[in-house]
Amino acid sequence: MKRSLSRREFIHLAAVSAAGAILAGCTPEGTQPAEPAALPEASATQPPTEAGNAPSAPSESSAGATEVPTTRPVPTQPKADEAYLSVVHGSDPAAITKAALDALGGMKRFVKSGADVIIKPNICTDYHPPEYAITTNPTVIATLVTLALGAGAKRVRVMDYPFGGTPDSAYAISGIADAVEAAGGEMHVMSLPKYKTYQIEGAKSMRSAEVYPDIMEADVLINVPIAKHHGSSRLTLAAKNLMGVVLDRNIMHMGLHKRIADLASLVRPTLTLIDGVRILMNNGPTGGNLNDVKQLDTVIASHDLVCVDAYATGWFDITPSDVPYIGACADLGLGTLDWQSVKLEEISL
Amino acid sequence: MRWSHWVRLRKIVQILSFAFFIYLTFAVVERRIAPPLADIFFRFDPLSALGSMLASRQWIPRLGLAVITVLLTLLVGRAWCGWICPLGTLLEWVSFKRARDILVKGVKVENSGVKGVSILRPYDRLRKLKYFLLVAVLLMVLLGSLSLLSIDPLAIFTRTMTTSILPALFYGINSLERVLYQVSFLSPAVDWFDGLVRGKILPVEQPLFSQNLAIAILFFGILALNLLAHRFWCRYLCPLGALLGLLSKFSLFRPMIGTACTHCARCAQVCRPGAIQAKAGELHIQPSECTFCLDCLANCQPGEMHLRPQVRPAPKEDFDLSRREALGAIVTGTAAVLLMGSELHRRQPSPWRIRPPGVDDEDAFLSTCLRCSQCMKICPTTALQPALTEAGLEGLWTPVVVPRLGYCDYGCTACSQVCPSGAIPKLPLEEKRLAVIGTARIDRDRCLPWASATTCVVCEEMCPTPDKSIRLEEATVIDDYGMDLIVQRPTVLREVCIGCGICEEHCPLPGEAAIRVYDA
Repeated sequence: MKRSLSRREFIHLAAVSAAGAILAGCTPEGTQPAEPAALPEASATQPPTEAGNAPSAPSESSAGATEVPTTRPVPTQPKADEAYLSVVHGSDPAAITKAALDALGGMKRFVKSGADVIIKPNICTDYHPPEYAITTNPTVIATLVTLALGAGAKRVRVMDYPFGGTPDSAYAISGIADAVEAAGGEMHVMSLPKYKTYQIEGAKSMRSAEVYPDIMEADVLINVPIAKHHGSSRLTLAAKNLMGVVLDRNIMHMGLHKRIADLASLVRPTLTLIDGVRILMNNGPTGGNLNDVKQLDTVIASHDLVCVDAYATGWFDITPSDVPYIGACADLGLGTLDWQSVKLEEISL
Repeated sequence: MRWSHWVRLRKIVQILSFAFFIYLTFAVVERRIAPPLADIFFRFDPLSALGSMLASRQWIPRLGLAVITVLLTLLVGRAWCGWICPLGTLLEWVSFKRARDILVKGVKVENSGVKGVSILRPYDRLRKLKYFLLVAVLLMVLLGSLSLLSIDPLAIFTRTMTTSILPALFYGINSLERVLYQVSFLSPAVDWFDGLVRGKILPVEQPLFSQNLAIAILFFGILALNLLAHRFWCRYLCPLGALLGLLSKFSLFRPMIGTACTHCARCAQVCRPGAIQAKAGELHIQPSECTFCLDCLANCQPGEMHLRPQVRPAPKEDFDLSRREALGAIVTGTAAVLLMGSELHRRQPSPWRIRPPGVDDEDAFLSTCLRCSQCMKICPTTALQPALTEAGLEGLWTPVVVPRLGYCDYGCTACSQVCPSGAIPKLPLEEKRLAVIGTARIDRDRCLPWASATTCVVCEEMCPTPDKSIRLEEATVIDDYGMDLIVQRPTVLREVCIGCGICEEHCPLPGEAAIRVYDA
């Protein structure tokens, strides 16, 4: 006689079906090829505009799709009394960070009450502590966390995806984890299954990229690179720092400079600070020689990442034209190379 | 305390020990520090201790804890097997009792001498096998080969968890998350879950190991043998069980049958390892097979089972090795060592035999490495993989670095922190960074700037040495469109390269990298 299903048998069956369902669910996603093909030169790209005619924010309906054709909002332009670019020198990283923000009109200009804020430092490896100038200065990051929370941010998360070592160890060795947590921010480990493919409109080389969606969906993205020497791109600065939010960085290396610009046109940071407290003059981006480190005691900030990158090339005695991705960003209309003609506020503390 | 309470205590200890073992397999290295006690089970394992100390001819203080297990065994017998061993516990829990009862019905039923009581004692003489294996293992160890320690029960369990079960579990969780992330309102819940596990109890990226299926088949095969007998592995095969079994013949406290025994044979019926023989009404306890589970004591109706001190060693059993059989095991072990010692790789070592940092002497390494996979488990980049042919059959399942799968992290010393036998020496980070494990070489026929007029310097960027081990030389080449193109061509500086392999892992060429690390 046939017995009825026992509890154990039921659990077995349920487990087997669940396992089957999981396996069925992990078929490769996305039907459109994600490979970036070379595109013909786009004739006109959108210049930085007033906040009024910024592209619309990510629409709700696009959530869940594998291809999400959207970009982050264009950063807001400064008002008449606010600096376009602030350059602050001084020996206290916290004070110069705050002063750099104040010159731009304060953190409230960028962070509205209740905003979800992400700070993207450069935490490239877990090899060396901050004195080696391979990861962004922890005090600069912690100060930004404090300022953002002070401006009413709902939460402030800090994240990067190191290429050497695990995120946890790199966060710890960089000193950023301790500093951020003390300031009330969260360190976030980017989750690989979460990445989404985004189409890049007006791209010159990379039509789409797999980007961490939190970066795209945050109300405020603060990009905080450290200025370093770099093998293939000469210097790693603000636009180059955005590579940390892309899943497959290998494909970015073919035609690196145009692709960095394409990425920057997708992931438009609300605010960019370049950490020039210590900069790495040689053997970058991994460093390891204190002789290659130069103490500069400076931070620069702007809503315009092209402008800060252009300014920072001067620290290495080269010009923006020596770092092709900066020009490529300007070609896409992401900002201005001509930092001499913008409203610059230089402060020494 | 009544015996039934002791039985309950045993089950609690088993659960705790098993849970701790599983916890340790999940713990990941955080902030450069491996979890404390990561290798604690191996340090209590007398087979590993005896093996590595004899084979490497040195006293290894870290494994001295195994003396405690030996003393425990001399006191109460194979309590390790019944109370602590995680593999034994798993085999006890996943016993397949119902299926086994159907399968082995009628194989061999012993007449207990009592009406209505029959006891299944299948394949009793197979118990010999484990003693045969033990003698072969010990002989090989004496001759300096640790190859057979790969069948130490802890090593089997750790290796399977590391290379098969954890990656499969991780794949399942990742796949599930990928599906759930498609449902937008679930995102916060998935984020919360992901934050709990990723980088905390599971790695950040998918771990992948070579031979994961073969290793899983061995493990699940052992589990499946339970269909033939309860804890088949422990009864018939486990060399560690055999070692402890031999010691148990001399243990001080053994279960004993009192004079008022009614010969109901209940004890023989409940005995899980089948250590109580009931023949024609006579009950006989075999201490070498007893796992000290105390079930017989708790179930004796007249209360005539006792735990009493005895000094006289237990008598010889049918399944103890005869002189001739012992000789056979010795010959087998010797033959194995001789054959493995004369393998081709001795003359021509594989260029891919890249050992973890700090390992200089291959022979010393092979005679110290327990094949336990602890290093592979903790390696945050899964650079360490179980060797298949890289070190010959002798080095099967010893760790080798496979840079295309994972690089040796410049900021990490985790493998040396968890190596129970010290086969991977503990080096301070500064020294480990100077330890050369291999040397990178560039294949100019495939490297993009050399062969394809394409700019690429990823290897140079990734290189972690403070003075880069890769020099770039500018060259003007003609690209696909006939235009002049300036490329930077990489060359490895052999004096500086430590062979960490991050260049090989990140080389953007599909398939084989254009820069590969060879054994130094």
